[in-house]
Amino acid sequence: MTDPRSAVSGIRTRFVAAVAAWAVLVAAVLVAVPLAYGSRLPDPLATHWGPSGRPDDSMSSAAFLLFLLVMWAAVAGISVGVAARGRNLARRTTRACLCAGLAWAGAFIVATQAVTIAANLDRGDWTRAATVSWQPAVVVAAPIALGALGWLAGRRGPDVPATPPPPGPLIDLTPGKRPVWVSTTTAPWAAWIALVATAAAVVTASLSLSGGLSGGWSAVVPLGLTALVGAVLSSVSVRVVPEALTVSVGPLRWPSRSVRLDRVERAWVEERYPSQMGGWGYRGLPGRATIMIRGGECLVVRYTSGGELAITVDDAATGAALINALVDRRRA
Amino acid sequence: MLLTLDLNDPRPLHEQVAAAIRRAITAGDVAPGDRLPPARDLADALGVNANTVLRSLRELRDEGLLEFRRGRGVSVLRRPDGREALRTRVRELLDEAAGYGLTADDVITLIKDIKDIGEEPGEEPGGDFGKETS
Repeated sequence: MTDPRSAVSGIRTRFVAAVAAWAVLVAAVLVAVPLAYGSRLPDPLATHWGPSGRPDDSMSSAAFLLFLLVMWAAVAGISVGVAARGRNLARRTTRACLCAGLAWAGAFIVATQAVTIAANLDRGDWTRAATVSWQPAVVVAAPIALGALGWLAGRRGPDVPATPPPPGPLIDLTPGKRPVWVSTTTAPWAAWIALVATAAAVVTASLSLSGGLSGGWSAVVPLGLTALVGAVLSSVSVRVVPEALTVSVGPLRWPSRSVRLDRVERAWVEERYPSQMGGWGYRGLPGRATIMIRGGECLVVRYTSGGELAITVDDAATGAALINALVDRRRA
Repeated sequence: MLLTLDLNDPRPLHEQVAAAIRRAITAGDVAPGDRLPPARDLADALGVNANTVLRSLRELRDEGLLEFRRGRGVSVLRRPDGREALRTRVRELLDEAAGYGLTADDVITLIKDIKDIGEEPGEEPGGDFGKETS
């Protein structure tokens, strides 16, 4: 068996090389195509078509190229950033998502350029550019097909298992002592989202009130909801006392949920990630749910009824050890 | 963070909570630089008032074990030194001794006995043992 760490670094080297090759290839196409057809293209180019299929907006060809290149550089840069971080690439799902996203984005940008240039080719002025009909379908379909290929390419290779978390400490359940476990995990990004959304909602609302912004009210409700969701996702607190396990989220510790320990069969630690669970927040249905505010270590409890609840929380091994010790004592 | 309260401890609650947190720091459950859970979560788990927990945290800050930072909560500054760590355990030892009907002076005598053995390796330990049991 190979050492998981060297396997991850091997995968990372290959992945970064593949991303770099793909990034250079797409950038080369983006630069080469306008150069090759430069003499046959109007400047500015028609870059936007209205619902009727007629061109309704233009951009200088240099600005259009720069726009595509900057978009592509941002996508490739973020992907390499995610890939370089920690053990991200060890997980098959993450690799597949990254490859699919990169393949999709590259194909989308190239297809956008191809359709734009084809429509402008040999037209003297952007207002006389060809009307579009079936071309948007290509811009949508081709990247999806390539994204699927990227997904399959990223899935290759092993799903390197995370190094198992250290076993929790032995918990001393002396009679006359009351052991409790408290752990809090925060997600600063969610707190920032909440803060920015709150500020934006307040500014929009006050501008609308003073009449400076017409129709601003329609933005206040989504901004307020974003702030609420961000706040709820910003922290999770887990408390284990000899009677119950309590999970609360958000700065107000509400909503909160308590599970009596006589309903708990067993607890353990697992690594779970938003890419496996379908995102952040309350994932899954009651009885098989994960409260996900960050990827990584989770405390998982199984109910005697067969259901499970997982919470992303630090120091989960200690919590699991305490729950198991308390459950064993209760049964004895 | 794992905390253990002694249900038979006669001391005021804030001292018990402070002792529990001090034990957790001594045991290495939380290392210097780690953040403690918010006081209200600790209070909820321990079943005491949040002000009681805050009072304990302030005591530990005054001892130099904790650091309060605006916006970053309460974090561990350092581990208690030997004297501070032992103080808690001596307190527990005295409480246990009281359970057997022994006073603090009895415990001091016991400690002196052990110390004498340690300092005079020439003495026969067997004789000492005989005296104690007789």
